[in-house]
Amino acid sequence: MSTLNSVGHPTSRIDAVKRVTGTATYTGDLRLEGMLYARVLRSPHPHARIRRVDLSKAQSLPGVKAILTRENCDIVWGSGDTRNKRYLFNNPVRFVGDAVAAVAAIDRHTAEEATRLIEVEYEPLPFVLEPEDALKSDAPEIQPGGNLSPNNQGKREPEVYRRGNIDEGLRAADHVFEEQYSSAHINNAQLEPRVAIAQWQGGRLTVYASTQGISNCHTEIARDLGLKPEQVRVVCQFMGGGFGNKNQCHDFDLMAAMLAKQAGAPVKLEFTRKEDFIAVHGRWPTKQYYKIGVRNDGTLTAIQLRGYSGMGPYRKGAGGIGGIEIYQCAHVERAVHPVYTNKAVSANLRGPDYPQGVFGLESLIDDIAYKLQMDPVEFRLKNMTRKFLDQTPYTSIGLEDCLRRGAEAFEWKKRWNPAPGSAPGPLKRGAGMGMGSFVSSLGRSSAVIDLDSQGMYHVHVGVTDVGTAAKTTMALIAAESLGVPLERINIIWGDTDRCPYSVGESGSRTTTHTGYAVMEAAKDLKKQLAEKGMPKGTDMLTATANTNPTIPGVARYSFVAHFAEVEVDTDLGHVRVTKYVAAHDSGRVVNPLTATSQVKGGATMGIGMALHEELLYDRASGQPLTAGYYGARVMTHRDTPEIEVVWVETEEPYGPYGAKTLGEPTIIPSVAAVANAIYNAIGKRVKDLPITRDKILGVLA
Amino acid sequence: MSKISRRTFFEGTGAGIVAGAVPLRGQQAPAPAPRNTIQITVNGVAHKLEVEDRWTLVEVLRDHLGLTGSKIGCDRGECGACTVLLDGKSVYSCSQLAVWMNGRSIETVEGLSANGRLDPLQEAFIQHDGPQCGFCTSGQLMSAKALLHRNSHPTAEEVRAGMTGNICRCSNYNRYVESVLAAAGTLSADAGGRKA
Repeated sequence: MSTLNSVGHPTSRIDAVKRVTGTATYTGDLRLEGMLYARVLRSPHPHARIRRVDLSKAQSLPGVKAILTRENCDIVWGSGDTRNKRYLFNNPVRFVGDAVAAVAAIDRHTAEEATRLIEVEYEPLPFVLEPEDALKSDAPEIQPGGNLSPNNQGKREPEVYRRGNIDEGLRAADHVFEEQYSSAHINNAQLEPRVAIAQWQGGRLTVYASTQGISNCHTEIARDLGLKPEQVRVVCQFMGGGFGNKNQCHDFDLMAAMLAKQAGAPVKLEFTRKEDFIAVHGRWPTKQYYKIGVRNDGTLTAIQLRGYSGMGPYRKGAGGIGGIEIYQCAHVERAVHPVYTNKAVSANLRGPDYPQGVFGLESLIDDIAYKLQMDPVEFRLKNMTRKFLDQTPYTSIGLEDCLRRGAEAFEWKKRWNPAPGSAPGPLKRGAGMGMGSFVSSLGRSSAVIDLDSQGMYHVHVGVTDVGTAAKTTMALIAAESLGVPLERINIIWGDTDRCPYSVGESGSRTTTHTGYAVMEAAKDLKKQLAEKGMPKGTDMLTATANTNPTIPGVARYSFVAHFAEVEVDTDLGHVRVTKYVAAHDSGRVVNPLTATSQVKGGATMGIGMALHEELLYDRASGQPLTAGYYGARVMTHRDTPEIEVVWVETEEPYGPYGAKTLGEPTIIPSVAAVANAIYNAIGKRVKDLPITRDKILGVLA
Repeated sequence: MSKISRRTFFEGTGAGIVAGAVPLRGQQAPAPAPRNTIQITVNGVAHKLEVEDRWTLVEVLRDHLGLTGSKIGCDRGECGACTVLLDGKSVYSCSQLAVWMNGRSIETVEGLSANGRLDPLQEAFIQHDGPQCGFCTSGQLMSAKALLHRNSHPTAEEVRAGMTGNICRCSNYNRYVESVLAAAGTLSADAGGRKA
């Protein structure tokens, strides 16, 4: 791979000084003149009809300036549900945390007090929490038409993928393995709680949002409020994480706007941490039934998956269960049922379909390898994907290198125990691994570059930088493409009045989509510079790129293999990860410093998903029990092992300098790697996430 | 308190936005919450403030002194984003009432760099890529500062123990440990050192 001047060199974030001095201005840090504070009143019931809302006491509380309920606000939040009409305030309420009212007042204590003074008369309705229960004929109906959410064609049928003939594949097998797995609802739990500040100036609305995509947020706010796009401005300068739950315009953006309108003053709406856990969304919980056929020589003949995803009462997310793409197999059938339940809403969390799907699939694949007395790495090398869905060539594929080089760095042969659970204990060590892939799409985005007479290049991109170092990545691509040092690049970001359209920072697309637009704008600017020469005085040279590259007939994917060693205390059920290697093919790595951080973070998050996290519900009352950081037991400093990163930089012909997707692949196989390591240590398999101490002690009992 | 009547509140910004309205008028000034006067020193500067009994330290820092570097991540003593130094020791400023602060000295992230020079911890956080989204960073820095006060040459394990009350959901823990060790001059090749 050729060496470049800027791209590929470890580079500190261009905004790092702000991030370490407390001067990075996050949305919640803003205070506007005359700004009010808002709080939301939420349903304490998992399912109930609202009979009556009495606002009189709340309205009489001095300092209360505006109150919204369904009565005076019937806005439909378009991105809140892709199948049904989801209002900002719904009746019936369908989960504990569904919004009932929002109050703006002179300070947050008054707003909070006012929400407590709102009297609501509820008629509790029957509720259902688990997807398979929700599909029974006597289950309470959560949305009109039934609890199986319509598929992409609008039919009440599961989402189905097929190739070959599954029955034929199962008949061709020497062994058929059947197993079931489940995964939990877990929260994105980004450190920055949800916040929006809305301000009307004349007929124009500015929303200071905490968003992963200012362009989407902008379009959707205008759509949902019936405004023209030019009447809306969205600003997000620094952003404290989202991992998929700040992709779009959210109900709190719209509520803040409507409260501000009613009060005639700017409004800051803040969510509490508990609200963030129960009332936004997290990863969909799943139930997975796998059936896999295999020949004596280890060749896969059939993979069948019947899955159920709990979507909560609104269809905000896709509900997919991914992973089968990583195997070559002639006969495949997958049917996933996205189901309404009366739990918290489920939608995107880092690699939405994958970590849970790969956990189930890779657990069973691991079992199969043991049964056939094959090394799990060898089994995967034999059966790994060569063409996407056995059909479409990949633009580049470094999966084999991820497996081989990852195994080598991990010292797989030394750490993996061919006889699981055979160590004497009570502390038992074991090694496990998993692999995955994630689409590295190319697509629509824009960039504008202005060159001034001082030789500064002002690069306008609609990114917010959710923590991925997107601004720095854009600056490196610009510097490389323009052939100038990084110091001559000025990134202008996070404001729809100053930035062109950008794809949201979701789907791990910023480098490949917006980075591509930056590269193309730079090409144009260089051409103009050659023709016209340097601008003089206050003149500028301006280049604009609206790019939407397509690559028909090929599939562009990133690949990944993770390896984990654990130590299980078989007396206490405690698991400690003692060694971890993450091998990634993301094409050319634009910034090895920040990319390595992303891998370390994603892998660590996956360890937490494997071992700790679950939003538990009380079955009798439908109440969430573990909202918050302690309840979820997210990973801490002490839980985290050193994550060693191995880069497999494939020669990728497309995308900016051959860069492929990175952010989401980092979590995909981590859950499976940890689960498989636990099996290797104790010789017993826990099939339900998270793999908590009680479950480990349960399988050992 | 005058009787509240319904009227149309919104002017046409498009169909489908508003049905009714909840007008609020004729209100008195808010009933005063109990207040006390406190004297505190923040980053070396003395302040005399009148605070409501229900205000937390982080609220006073952010909303009344404009020091927004300390973040509110959970407001319930779980995440550590609001960590500040109270008389040299790290505390969650969301879990301290402002009225308790009378006569105390507080240091926030804004006080770390002096005369435009960054603290070695800040330099190390930049060089070793501590912040991802950055929302937990101020708290991580202040916990690290407190740790180095009491243990100037910590091991990696001591850093993890000393900072375990600071959650980073980007989970950049390796980098934070590496940064603190680098600032303390105890970074070794196998203790969080970059392999890439």
